Parts: sequence; structure tokens; C-alpha cells
Amino acid sequence: MPPNVVRRELVEEKASSAVAWNCPEFGAIYEAHSQCIYYLALRLMGDPTQAQDATHDVFLKAYRKMGSFRGESGIRTWLYRITINHCQNLNQSWHKRNMFSNADDAVWETAVGSGENPLRVLEVKELGERIQRTLDSLSEEYRILLLLVADERLSYEEVGQLTEQTADAVRGKLHRARKSFASAFSKFS
Amino acid sequence: MNSESKLRQQEQQVQSEESLHAQTSTEFATAEELLRHDAAQIEVPGAVADRLNESIAKEPKPVRTWWRRFVSGD
Repeated sequence: MPPNVVRRELVEEKASSAVAWNCPEFGAIYEAHSQCIYYLALRLMGDPTQAQDATHDVFLKAYRKMGSFRGESGIRTWLYRITINHCQNLNQSWHKRNMFSNADDAVWETAVGSGENPLRVLEVKELGERIQRTLDSLSEEYRILLLLVADERLSYEEVGQLTEQTADAVRGKLHRARKSFASAFSKFS
Repeated sequence: MNSESKLRQQEQQVQSEESLHAQTSTEFATAEELLRHDAAQIEVPGAVADRLNESIAKEPKPVRTWWRRFVSGD
């Protein structure tokens, strides 16, 4: 990746934050990419509390491994890779298979932006729950594919790298994934 | 109230209901569009950044990697 692209990716989207980062450079990376990482974790885990833990753990892993990151892929793609592996490991763990989710209404409400109109929150919450049920009903392959393609900053080639297939295979499977999603979504109305 | 004003009132009510419907229902062409809309509603709780910052403070200082040099412009 050209250095100017890396620099833009790191710095351009730096958002204002209330956090006084101990490592400002890494804080800029967090500000630029935490939303998409949290969203992916939320929809893969289906639980806001676990998604918060996963987001923390993913960025901490990234901080520890930054020395080995050579910029061969985009930072966002690299963070997505860590997130997918992390969430897959957690989903396969004994705890996930044997314990009930601790997500309750109060926790779900905190996943939505604060300061919203209560009716808007309700609408968002209901839609979010419906989307979650729909994604949960799909195969893991389709779920990850749709969530990655939904990020417009990722090319089909990058989605292919993350899902270990060609860009053409991504296009082919995406068509079927869309149909599966639409069919399941209509059932959860 | 005469019949004309009753009719006008009914028309206004229908217009109001149609408008509400337009505001609350959105159609999405693909699953990705719907997921993008969903993602835009989700904010990362601020507690995650605070916790991460605390965790980083406990970590040994990383070696000065290429990305730090690059971002700082040295």
C-alpha cells in the first residue's frame, strides 16, 4: 500500500475524542476504525457486552502486534482479520455453546446512540434485533460476507482476502447471500 | 362544522398519516444497504476507549515502529 494511502487512513478520519490517549497515534487508529470493528463484532457475537469486550481485545492485540504490521494490506483489513478470528474463537468456545447470552433489553439500548428520541431508539432497537435474528439464521460464511461487503471501503478483492477466496467467488456468493438474507428477513417481520 | 370542513379535516389526517409512513418506512435495495443503515445507528460505547486506554497504559512501550515514525512525520 502506498505510504500516502496509509497516512490518509491513519490520520484523515481522526475524530474528536474525550479520551486523552496514552498513545495518540494509536488513538487515531482507534477513532478511525473502532465503529466498523464494533459493528462487525456486535453482529457476529449478537451481544453488545461481548462486542465491547471483543473490540477492546482486538485493538489491544493490534497495539501489541503493530510492530509486525508491514502495511501489506490496509489497516482496516488487518483489523477485520483480527476481529473475525477473535469472534470465531469465542463463538466456538465452550462458554458460548453452554451459557445463555447475558444480553438484555438494557444492554441492547446502550448499543444505540445516546440522546435519541425514545421512539427512534425503539425503532432502531427493533430493526437491530430483526437484523440480528436474520444474520444468526444464515451460515457463518454468508454472515461474514454480507457484513464485510456492507463496508463500502473494502473492495471485493479485500473481502476475498479476508474470506480466503477470489473476488469472483465473492461476487457469486454475494448474490446467494443476499437472497438468503432477504428470505430470512421477511420471515422475522 | 359543515361537510366541506369535515372533508378537509379527513384529507389532512390522511396526508399526515401518509407522511408519517414515509418517514418511518425505508426500502433497501440490498442486504448491504440495510446493514449500512443499521451500522450507522450504532455507536461504540465510550467505555471501550477508556478501558483500552487503561490497558495500553499497562503495556510495555512498543518499539518505535515504522507506522509511528510515519504518523509523527519524523
